[in-house]
Amino acid sequence: MSDLLHDPFVQSSLLPLLVSLLMVGVLHRLKRPLAVAGIAATFLVVFALVVGLPALPPPSSMGKLFWASAAGLALGVAADVIGARGRAAAVCLAAWLAGSLVWISLPALESVVEILTLLVLLAVGAWVAFGRHPGHSDGPTAPAASLLALALAVGSIALIGSSASIAQMALALAAAAGGFLLWNWPVERHAWGMSGQAALGIVVLLAGVLALFTQSQATVLLLALPALLADRVRRYLPVPATRFGQAAGAAAVTVAAVLPALVAIGAAYTLSGGEASPY
Amino acid sequence: MTKTLFAAALLASATFGALTPAVAAPVAYKIDPAHLSVAFIVNHLGFSNLIGRFNTASGDVSFDKDAVEKSTVAVTVDTTSVDTNHAKRDEHLKSPDFFNAKEFPKMTFKSTAIEKTGANTGKLHGDLTLLGVTKPIVLDVTFNKDGVSPASKLETVGFSARGKVKRTDFGMKYGAPYISDEIDLLIEAEAVKA
Repeated sequence: MSDLLHDPFVQSSLLPLLVSLLMVGVLHRLKRPLAVAGIAATFLVVFALVVGLPALPPPSSMGKLFWASAAGLALGVAADVIGARGRAAAVCLAAWLAGSLVWISLPALESVVEILTLLVLLAVGAWVAFGRHPGHSDGPTAPAASLLALALAVGSIALIGSSASIAQMALALAAAAGGFLLWNWPVERHAWGMSGQAALGIVVLLAGVLALFTQSQATVLLLALPALLADRVRRYLPVPATRFGQAAGAAAVTVAAVLPALVAIGAAYTLSGGEASPY
Repeated sequence: MTKTLFAAALLASATFGALTPAVAAPVAYKIDPAHLSVAFIVNHLGFSNLIGRFNTASGDVSFDKDAVEKSTVAVTVDTTSVDTNHAKRDEHLKSPDFFNAKEFPKMTFKSTAIEKTGANTGKLHGDLTLLGVTKPIVLDVTFNKDGVSPASKLETVGFSARGKVKRTDFGMKYGAPYISDEIDLLIEAEAVKA
């Protein structure tokens, strides 16, 4: 059992999927609007199990990633508990994300390239924060599919670029989003809320660590960004308002979100010279 | 008479002064990068022991031959120069999983005490700073030789050091214990008079 839990594949797929199914289920029972917080909570639990609980104050970018994510989850839960919605909630999320990105990036800001990378990350963070207001009338499938796709892209590109911890954590986040999606398929049960937006913010933070502190082909992550348009795809899908139509629509949106991520992963693989397994 | 006594005293003082050995002071040396090897051995999943090295390092030695305990050593290792003869693995070693070289490009060692254990051996106590964490470590040191090098014609000292470091103490937890936690350190160095 111990060997199984130490298997990197289990740690980044089966374990977070099961923890997410459990977390979302428990939160669903306790307070339904908080069910989506199960995604970020799963990420933190798996991080602590796999990488270890980082020191506070954290000396490294990975430690900062953990504590910034914990702060984002706390912010999201607090906002969802008090029912914060609209632009004010989005501004809070943007402030958390921008502050976290700058905090994590500071030791790496040595040249124009790194400063430009940070600016791109901040722009993506603004898109995440303001592109879709918490409490949006659409269901949670589209943003959860966006999260799954982006986390899959970050994880796979990190794996190709020999950054195993980032890969494992990003893939764990993708698996956690997968657990939430399973809870909401074929029938959407939960709201996305600020906790969900915070989980989307965590994937931007992971991309930041990957882009600024490793030699991975992180630039190709830009190819995965159309995954954030999944909710618009959903609006234009001609699916009937039946139970089957909703289930098929959710599956189609997930596939549509994952496609750009696959393109980004393919580009990273090609640029790396086609070496999937580093050594 | 007074003048004669004063002259005798001055002579005696000058004579005994010349015969008294001068108190040796620590001499400053610079570690010669061309003759510095910083290597490590790590167990890989129980199958083999992998040997790696750092190609760039620098340091200073303050060496007191007559009172070795008063000597000091300070070494800075460039973690971006890690080399295990495999480009992809080196990339991984530089990533946040291991040396996190972008964020922590330097690993430093600063001696705190030297304990003599034999004619030419000792224990070098010092603080190792890795990944922003400073912990005390002890290295077994062998003083090999000092004198003018026939190659460089410079005053040179040479020493070897061996020790063990628990990487998880410094927050380098990735893969432990399958990729061994305890790392063997091997240092071979020559330092030339500054």
